[in-house]
Amino acid sequence: MGHWEPIDTEIWDTVITPCDCCGQVVAKQLWVADVEGTELRFCSERCEELYRTHVVPQRREAAPA
Amino acid sequence: MTTTPAQGAGKIDPVQLAIINNSFVNICREMGITMTRTAFSPIFNEGLDFSCVLFDNRGNMIGQAEFCPAQLAASLFIVRWTVEELGIDSFEPGDVVLHNDPYRGGAHIPEHSVIRPVFYHDELWGFVANVGHLAEIGGKAVGSFAADATEVFQEGLRIPPIKIVSRDENNLDLWRLIMANHRTPRNTWGDINAQIGSLRVAERRLIELLDRYGSQFITNAADELMDYSERWMRAEIEAIPDGKYEFTDYMEDDGVVDQPVKFHVTVTIDGDRMIVDWTGSSPQVRGPINATYGVTSGAVYNAVFHVTDSRIPKNSGAYRPIYIIAPPGTVTNVVYPGPSVGGNTETHPKLVDMVTGALAPVMRDRVAAAEGASACNFLFGGVHPKTGDFYANYHLEGCGWGAKDYDDGNDATIVVNGNCRNTPVEIFETRYPLETVEYSLLTDSGGAGRHRGGLGTRRIMRIGKGAEVTASALFDRTKGEFRAWGLEGGMPGGYGAIRVKRRGDTEFRTFPEVFGTVSASKFTNIVLTEGDEVMLDAPGGGGFGDPRERDRDAVARDVTEGIVSPEAARELYGWSGE
Repeated sequence: MGHWEPIDTEIWDTVITPCDCCGQVVAKQLWVADVEGTELRFCSERCEELYRTHVVPQRREAAPA
Repeated sequence: MTTTPAQGAGKIDPVQLAIINNSFVNICREMGITMTRTAFSPIFNEGLDFSCVLFDNRGNMIGQAEFCPAQLAASLFIVRWTVEELGIDSFEPGDVVLHNDPYRGGAHIPEHSVIRPVFYHDELWGFVANVGHLAEIGGKAVGSFAADATEVFQEGLRIPPIKIVSRDENNLDLWRLIMANHRTPRNTWGDINAQIGSLRVAERRLIELLDRYGSQFITNAADELMDYSERWMRAEIEAIPDGKYEFTDYMEDDGVVDQPVKFHVTVTIDGDRMIVDWTGSSPQVRGPINATYGVTSGAVYNAVFHVTDSRIPKNSGAYRPIYIIAPPGTVTNVVYPGPSVGGNTETHPKLVDMVTGALAPVMRDRVAAAEGASACNFLFGGVHPKTGDFYANYHLEGCGWGAKDYDDGNDATIVVNGNCRNTPVEIFETRYPLETVEYSLLTDSGGAGRHRGGLGTRRIMRIGKGAEVTASALFDRTKGEFRAWGLEGGMPGGYGAIRVKRRGDTEFRTFPEVFGTVSASKFTNIVLTEGDEVMLDAPGGGGFGDPRERDRDAVARDVTEGIVSPEAARELYGWSGE
C-alpha cells in the first residue's frame, strides 16, 4: 500500500522530480510505494498500477533466463 | 468498424450534451479569432501557431478546437501542473499566470501559456488557457530557435509559472523584466496581450453558458462528455488486436554532433488500454532535438487521434485509456538543463509517424506512410533598412504528407503537430526585407507508390536592398537514409534542404560549404547580406504500395502537371508515355 509524500523544494531549486514509471513531472507530492522490495516514486496510484501490470512483467520477459 | 458507444448513457439528454460540447468548442474557436485579429506577429495572425483550451476546476480539459495538436496535448500537463504547483487557492478572479518552462509540461521554450481562472458566483469553476509560440524570446539566436543550443539558457528566457496579471492589473515589473530580454519587445507586449484578450473572451462566454444552464448542469455535462469520450476511445482501442507493436526511426543529427539519433517505441494493446513505451530510445542528446514529456505525450495522442474515430469529443476522457512511458534523460523526455526547442517541430512528427507505423500491420486502412516531418524552421531578423526597427520572424514551411491505402498524401502541409498555415508572400515582403524569388511545389519530392506521397515545396528568398539578415535554421530529412519512409512497397519521399547562393555566385551550395557549419540542416546566426539568396526545400512524404500499380491515368496526370518528371514516371512507375 503506497502513501503520498510532499516534495520539499527550496526557492532556487530547478530540477524537477519525474515519476519512476511514466517519466512525467511531479509538481508537489509523490505517490511512494514498495514494488518488489524497492521504494518507487510515482505521479499517481494509476502509475503504480501501470508499473506493476506492465513494466514489471516486461522486465521479467526481457531478463536473461 | 463501428465502435460508437451510446451518447448520453448518463443522466443528461444526448442532444443537450451535444449542444454543450459544441459550446465548449465554439468558445475555443472564438478565442482563436480574437488571437488572429489582435496579435502583432504573423506567427499568430497568419501562422495560427497557438491553441485555446477550457478546463474544469479539477484540471480536466473539457474543450478544445482545431488548433495545434502539440500544444493541445501539452496544455493538459501545463495547466494541471501549474495549478498543482501554485496551489488552487492561490488563484483569484482576474489573475493570469504566464509560463513557458519546457520542464513543466511545455512543448518547447517559445511556447508561452497563459492561464486564467474562471470564477462563478465567487467560486472557482474552471480555467481557460491559451498556448502560443512567441516568435522571439531572446537567447543566443535571433528568433529563439538555436539549432546548436546545448542547454536551455541559450534558447531564450525561461519563465516558471508567475502571475503576470493580478486581479486584472498588469504586474508591470514582470512585464518589463520579460520584455528587456526579448529582441522585439513591442511584439511581445502585443502578442501576450492578444493571448490574454482571448482568455477574457472565453471567460465571458463561459459565464454566459453557466448563466444559461446553471453551474452544476455544465459541470455534470462536462463530466458526462469526458466519460463518453473515454468509453468511445476504449471501444476503439479494444477493436485493435491485442499485441505488442514496435517501430524504430532516426533523425539525421542533433545539430551539435553529426550522428544519427535513435527513437524506439513499443505500442502495447491490452484490451481497452494502450501503452506507448519509448524505452530503447537514445539517451538525451547535446543538441536541441530532445522532446519534452509534453511533446512525446502530445505525439502519442496525435497519432492515436489520427487512427481512431475523428468524432470522439476531444477532452481529458479521450486520453484516459492511453498510457505513456517516456524515460527521463532520453530524447523522448529531456531533463534540465537539456535543450529542446527543435523537439516540438522536428521530433514530434516523427514520433507520431512511429506510433502509426507500429500499428500499420493491424490498421493498414487507417494509417499513412511517413510525412516530411520537418517544419523547416527558418529564423531571421535584423534592422529593417526602410524603418530602422529591429524585426525577427519565425518561419515554417509545409512538407509532403504520407500516402494512404486510399489516397495520395497532402502536398505542402505544415507538419502533423501543427494546424498552422504558411505565411503569404505578400505578408513576408511587406514586413521583412526579403523578396520571394520562387515558391513552388517540388517535382518528384513525393515518394512513389500506388498512392503517391505529398510534395514538398521550394522557396527561394533574396535579401533585399541595404539589408543585413541574421539567419538560423533547423531542418531534418536532408541526407542519407533519413527520408520519409513508405509503406507496403511505397518509396521514400524526397529530401529537404537549405542552401545559400552568395551574391555573385552562380549556384546554391550547402551552409557547411559556404559558412563551415557542423550540420547542413541545423545552424545558428549566419549573417546574410543584400543579394544573397536562400533556398528552402521541404521534404516530401512517403508513398503507399507498389508504384507500378498506380493508376495509369493518375501517372499521366502527374506528369502533365509537373508533379512527377517524365524520367521518374518511366523509371519508378513503369510509365510508357511521352
